[in-house]
Amino acid sequence: MTVASNSTQPALKAQIREFIQENLASVKGITSFRDDESLMDNGVIDSLGIFRLVSFLEENFGVRVSDEEINPENLKSVDSIEQLLLSKSKK
Amino acid sequence: MAYTLQQLLKKSASLYPEKTAVWARGRSITYRELEEKSNQMAHLLQEYGVKKGDRVGLYFPKAVDSIVSMFGVLKAGGVYVPLDPAAPADRVSYILQNCGVRVLITNSEKRRGLDKGTLDELDLAIVLDADAAHSNGHTVMPWSALTNYPSESSPAVTLTETDLAYILYTSGSTGRPKGVMLSHQNALTFVEWCAEKFRIRSEDNLSNHAPLHFDLSVFDIYNTIEAGATVYLVTEDVALFPSVLANFIESKGITVWYSVPSALVLLLLHANVTREKLAKLRIILFAGEVFPMKYLRQLVNLLPTVDFYNLYGPTETNVCTYYKVEAARLESMEKLPIGIACENTEVFAVNDKDEMVTKPGDTGELYVRGPAVTYGYWADLEKTAKMVVPNRFQKNFQENMYRTGDLVSLGEDGNYYFLGRRDSMIKSRGYRIELGEIESALLSHPSVKEAAALAIPDDIVGNRIKAVISTHEAQPIKPAELQSHCAAKIPKYMIPEIIDFMEDLPKTSTGKVDRVRLAQASLV
Repeated sequence: MTVASNSTQPALKAQIREFIQENLASVKGITSFRDDESLMDNGVIDSLGIFRLVSFLEENFGVRVSDEEINPENLKSVDSIEQLLLSKSKK
Repeated sequence: MAYTLQQLLKKSASLYPEKTAVWARGRSITYRELEEKSNQMAHLLQEYGVKKGDRVGLYFPKAVDSIVSMFGVLKAGGVYVPLDPAAPADRVSYILQNCGVRVLITNSEKRRGLDKGTLDELDLAIVLDADAAHSNGHTVMPWSALTNYPSESSPAVTLTETDLAYILYTSGSTGRPKGVMLSHQNALTFVEWCAEKFRIRSEDNLSNHAPLHFDLSVFDIYNTIEAGATVYLVTEDVALFPSVLANFIESKGITVWYSVPSALVLLLLHANVTREKLAKLRIILFAGEVFPMKYLRQLVNLLPTVDFYNLYGPTETNVCTYYKVEAARLESMEKLPIGIACENTEVFAVNDKDEMVTKPGDTGELYVRGPAVTYGYWADLEKTAKMVVPNRFQKNFQENMYRTGDLVSLGEDGNYYFLGRRDSMIKSRGYRIELGEIESALLSHPSVKEAAALAIPDDIVGNRIKAVISTHEAQPIKPAELQSHCAAKIPKYMIPEIIDFMEDLPKTSTGKVDRVRLAQASLV
């Protein structure tokens, strides 16, 4: 699917959150995190997890995330990942 | 010649007082400031009772203040113990208790995470972001209190090179980490060898990629200080993002890089790096795990003017062998050697007949002798006696040597080649991991009956971790629940990514878990 302009934001956020919880957080033994929490500070994302997350975003939402866009501003938290996807859907 | 690590700082502070010594998170400190601040810390520590040989814990994310603290502790005659700020509090508490830490340098968040029993053992906590001193079972001092202490010189303490400088905790097979004790001499043996070999100069900019509880950081910090150079600490917000890291290397003008191979592989694969971007780099050192050959070839082709070195050595010896990568040989080489002994160290392989290996092609366990070898593990004479053993190959005087547990072969080219481990220690992202420590964590869950942790080879990080478990009857459990259970006991990089369930684990004829069969089943 692509990021449709009419997609409701909670659904988008829920998909991001679900992927992170099931694929990145659980395997680190982390059972909960807030949407604005830094996924680097809490250890959810490690050096390989970053790229699993990016692959998920690309495959699931039909967007392209460049090497330069893989930075802490864009991928810091569930909120910032949502913002990244929304900004791409507007282009 | 320096016989303590702090003498390196004293000398550089007199030669380059206004030069930047350390940079981290946008903050920097000059040599003069580092010398003065660490003097102040030493006086404060002394006033609160820190004496020669006392252990002082460092427990906060790496920062300029980490380096101030390291030197402050050393100048008070103490022994610093860097703790992984990302480790579970339970593991940190164990380490603090294991080596009897009474003084902890920390921040308020990390301090809050420790249980009351652990805090009750402390006499003093120096808290980076505390705003005032108070007492709470132990004295809490804000970092700002340092300014009340004399900065001109350090307190008088008689130290020799055989005194301990720091203790680094690594994974232990019995389920608890073990503290590798390193003396000033151990560290200086390595630092002086590097200074000579890599010709580190005051114009160099070094990076510090490794965490401070990881022995790779010893080079970054002390060789910088030895040379009067500058070290740029790479923090998580940079380290996790290859293109951000590439920009960091470029903008800081890093000339000497040292890290685990996986950091370099990710840089190569995901940062779109160009020769121009990394133009200032002159030396790349890597250690901690095997560098996948295909990526090393690509990196060497990309950066033909850079000297690449594979450094090898367990924490117990820091680095004991090295191999300078020969670009011309790299194409035809199947396996990268760990090389030859550092010039101030001796290594040899001992075969099953307890003879030194001298013929090319023969294999044995690698032993190390010389001033780099650790005294052993803190408060663990039994483990120490197994690994740090009398040198039985000479009879004229008493000395110890270290058995690495690594199997090596001697190549036709005179280099040693790493073959594997004698035990169940593995490497992942350069971290030493005892599979037994993971199994202990799994077995401490009430539903788990049997557990085996396995290493699954991985192209980038060396190994990923899988566990196979069986449970007590009628006690189903989700992998996520077990992973969460592990997270309270072991660091995140040790938690199994995959957990499989079996009714009973396969056994060998002697009744032990059959790891070979489990591993074969995992590869299918």
